[in-house]
Parts: sequence; structure tokens; C-alpha cells
Amino acid sequence: MRSDNSWLRTTTGIVAVLIAVQFLTGVLLAFYYVPSVDHAYTTVSYIEKVVSSGSWIRSLHHYGSQWLTVFVFIHVIRLFLDRAYAANRIQWIAGILILGLVMAAGGTGYSLPWDARAFFSTRVAEGLMAGLPIAGGMARLWLLGGSEISGVTLSRFFALHVLVIPALIGVVVAWRIFRTQIAALFGPRDAIVGTLVFLVLALWALKHPAPFGPSVAEAGADYLPRPGAQFLWLYQSLKYIPGGLGSIVGVVLPGIVLAVLVALPWLKRQRLIAGSLLGLGVVLVAIMTTVSYLSDRRDSRTAQQFARQAAAEEAWRHQPFNPATITLAATTANASAGAPDMYTKFCANCHGTQGQGAQQGPLKFPPLLDVSAKPRRSVDDIVALLKDPTAYGLQPPMRSFADKLTEAQMREIAEWIVKLKK
Amino acid sequence: MNIDTSRRSFLKFLPLAAVFVSIGGAAFRFLRPKLSAATDAWLDVASVSELSGPQPISRKIVAEQITGWAITTEEHNVFVLPAKNNQVVSAICPHEGCEVAWEQNRNRFSCPCHESFFAADGSRISGPAQRGLDALPARVQDGKLQVQYISKEQATRA
Repeated sequence: MRSDNSWLRTTTGIVAVLIAVQFLTGVLLAFYYVPSVDHAYTTVSYIEKVVSSGSWIRSLHHYGSQWLTVFVFIHVIRLFLDRAYAANRIQWIAGILILGLVMAAGGTGYSLPWDARAFFSTRVAEGLMAGLPIAGGMARLWLLGGSEISGVTLSRFFALHVLVIPALIGVVVAWRIFRTQIAALFGPRDAIVGTLVFLVLALWALKHPAPFGPSVAEAGADYLPRPGAQFLWLYQSLKYIPGGLGSIVGVVLPGIVLAVLVALPWLKRQRLIAGSLLGLGVVLVAIMTTVSYLSDRRDSRTAQQFARQAAAEEAWRHQPFNPATITLAATTANASAGAPDMYTKFCANCHGTQGQGAQQGPLKFPPLLDVSAKPRRSVDDIVALLKDPTAYGLQPPMRSFADKLTEAQMREIAEWIVKLKK
Repeated sequence: MNIDTSRRSFLKFLPLAAVFVSIGGAAFRFLRPKLSAATDAWLDVASVSELSGPQPISRKIVAEQITGWAITTEEHNVFVLPAKNNQVVSAICPHEGCEVAWEQNRNRFSCPCHESFFAADGSRISGPAQRGLDALPARVQDGKLQVQYISKEQATRA
């Protein structure tokens, strides 16, 4: 098929090698990663700090996904310039599908470490779904697996990221390979360039560990999240677009563009349509990505905040690993008298059924055991605190229950809480 | 086969070699198991004053181990032997690791899995187990009997 085996046409080789790297490193990470809001952050910390080569493997996976997106994008442009959509439909359609799937993999994967970045990324994905026309509310519910971001959401992103999307990529790649002569697909120059790109990525990943933000509980209000490089264009665009229109730019338009490009071999005036769509896409993505980098650089306060975050991350890397605590065989729990019904209804979700506290992902909810030993925690204080937590120096998510509980119910809860002992 | 084709087929292995040798080498180290570190804390078993009589006394201790990314808390059954100067033995059968039970009417420990039997002092009577019940390091501190938990595997190596 290929008449001219030039160096500029080796994007297939690069994409193939980078996909292989993503699969390999992804499988390795799955040996330690636990997709639960309790343990995701801990297991990623463990990979970064304790496991041999863990930081390198995770960095390969992180930056590899960004490089892969860039090279698939270049690959599609190259196919377009070669008029592959007319000459080799399978190659063309496979390229477009891979582009969409690689973006989807990047989007879902970003949530998995469950650090502050992941938290914001999940929020943005939620907003993008919610803003979709007509089916937005439904799309949001299906993505989250419920009405709020929860452990179910993390499991869904995990299942999509490690099962559904890789399987689809595998199917597309297999289809592409079996319908094309392998010799035409992967020549010696592909092999050389693919190897070179891998070696550069490997060295890059050695020097730059993948970023890992603070847990949500530890992230200050001034924490600035940024998406992966392949989504900076979307991130920057969302700054200019009011409200729900973001979903149009972030989800609907790219979807339409990908669908039109897939259907291109059957469309008339192929060249005109693809040229304008791709051209527009390239210009938009390039401009927005550049503007995003520049605006972060130029604004001195933003730059200073990023410097602080980088310093905090560097300091975190030098702190010893902090293991989680899990219970294997049943241990006898602290038995205390039954909690008041209103406690179980409003408080137990965060503070535990017996006041033992809880950790939901990076959010830590304090235990109430021995709380009466602390200053300003008498029964009267606790009743007043339930009405106005900020007066007692407490931060959200602790809220006022003045509108939910009667005075008597608050007193009942307070009298039960002061009896809780470790 | 001419020289050009053999060069071509050799080159195809280049990226395979680069990716698999580097990531594969790291993968061995990456996946290598980490040995669990038992915390050598002394765990309270009972007050010495409440231990007496010829019968082994069943107690539970909660031991912590650093396993991978977590500190794992696990409850273990132990027996205090007041007749043997308050020695504490693990309830884990040294054969395959099931938990033995004390049969009071027959004055012996029996393992529910493979019928190993142990005397009231923990020594082996019969069955596939090759040694008696494992004794745990014990001490008395402030009137409390305390032990350090060691697993069957650790006892086997010791």
C-alpha cells in the first residue's frame, strides 16, 4: 500500500509502541492499585514511594498517555494529508477511533489516583455530562452511578479505564492489523522511530515523576488543579464559555467531528470537509493549549502558587510512606449504647455509627470518641455547635443542623456523644 | 531471503526489545513481594491474677502487621497454660495452619482439619503435625501477662 516509506510516515510505529507501553504499565499499576475511595490515594502513594521503579512505571503511564494523544493526533493529520480516507478506509477509521478512545482513556484515568487533581477532574467530567443537551441529567447520573460523586463513581471510572476502553482499543487495533498487510503496517523505519520515541519517553519519565496532588482533605482552598496536557485546550476553552455550553465544546462538538471523520470515506467532498474540520481542530487545540501555558506563566500569583504546589509535592516525596489500617479478622468493636435515631440519620454517615469517625477518600471525618475531654465540648456546647459549627471553628462539610433537628433531638445526640469513650 | 528482508525482520524486534527489556526488567523489581514486618509490640493477654487452674484458657489478641500498603490488624486466638507457668501458645496448628480447639472432656487440643492432637501442655500427641503448638514470647508487666505475636511461618523459620 505504501509507495513511499519515508521517515515522516512512521507515526503508525510510534502510536503502536506507545499503546504497548500504556498496556504494559497499566497492567503493572493494577497489581497495586485499589479502586476504592478508602485506598486509592494510599495505594498510589505506595507505588510512588515504596515499590521499586514504581514512580517510573507510573510516570511512563502518565506522560505516555499524553504523548500517545499527541502522536495519534499527528497520525490522523498525516493520514489525512496522505488521503487515507479515500485510499485506505480501514486505516483511516481505525485512526479516528483510536483518537477518541485514547482521549476517553485519559479522561477516565485522571480520576483514579483520587488526589486533589483527580477530584477536580471528576467534578469537571460531571459538569460536562450534566451540561449535555436533553440527556444531560441522565448522562451525569450514569457516569457517577448515583446522584453524587462517590465510591461507585471511582469504580465506574476504573472499569471504563481498565476494562472497557482498553478492550475497545484492542478490538480496533486487531481489526486494523488483520485487514491490512502487516508489512505495509509496520516497516523498519516504524520500528526505529517507535524505539527512539520510547527511549525518550523512558528517560523523560525517569527524570519527571508523574504529578500527584495532595489529598482533598489536605488541599488548601488556594490549590490550583490542572488537567493533563492533552486536555489543556478543553480546560482553557471552558474559561471562555458560559455554563452549560461547555458540554457542547467539550463533548458534543468533538463527538460530531469524530463521527464525521469516521464517516468521511462515504462522504462527498471529503477533502473539503475533513480539511476544514481537522484544520479548525488543529488551530483551536494549538491556540488554546498555548494560551493555557502562557496565562499560567504570565500571571505571577498563579506561577507562585504552582511553585508552592511543586515544593509541597517534592516535600511529600521525601516523607515516609503512611500506611492505611485495615482489619482482617473481626475484632470486637467498642460496644456502646445504641445511638439515637437522629444521630444515625444525620451524623453516622460521616462520624461513624458509633462515633468512630470515617475516611471517605481523601476526606477525613474526625472521630467523636473522648470528645468530651476536649475544651468547649460539654453537652450545652455540642448543642450550640450543632446549631452553628463555624462559631466553634469547624469547617464544612460540617454544617448547621438547626433546620433539621429540634432542641430536644440535639440534646439527645449531645448526651450520647459525651459518653463515647475509646 | 535477501539481506534487505533479514534486516527488515530484525528491525521489527527493536521496539519489542526496547519496551520489553526495560519495562520487563523494572516489572520484576516492581512486582517483587515485600516481606511483612510484624510490629514487635507487647500485647496484653490477661491479668496474671485471673489465671489459674489446670485447664488451658482461651484468649484473643489483636496483632498488627505492616503488610504492603497497610497496617493490617488481625485477631488471633491463643491459649494460656496456667499449669505450665502461664506459657502462651498460638492456636494455629503447626501442620497446615487451621485453628485448634480445646476439648475439655478429652483433655487435649484437636485440630479440626487433619486430626492432629496436642496435650494440655501443648506438646504433640499424634497426627500429621510435626511439632507441638508454638509458644509465643511472653512476659509479665505490671501484673499483666503480655505476648508478642509470631505467625506459624515465622515460628517454622525460627
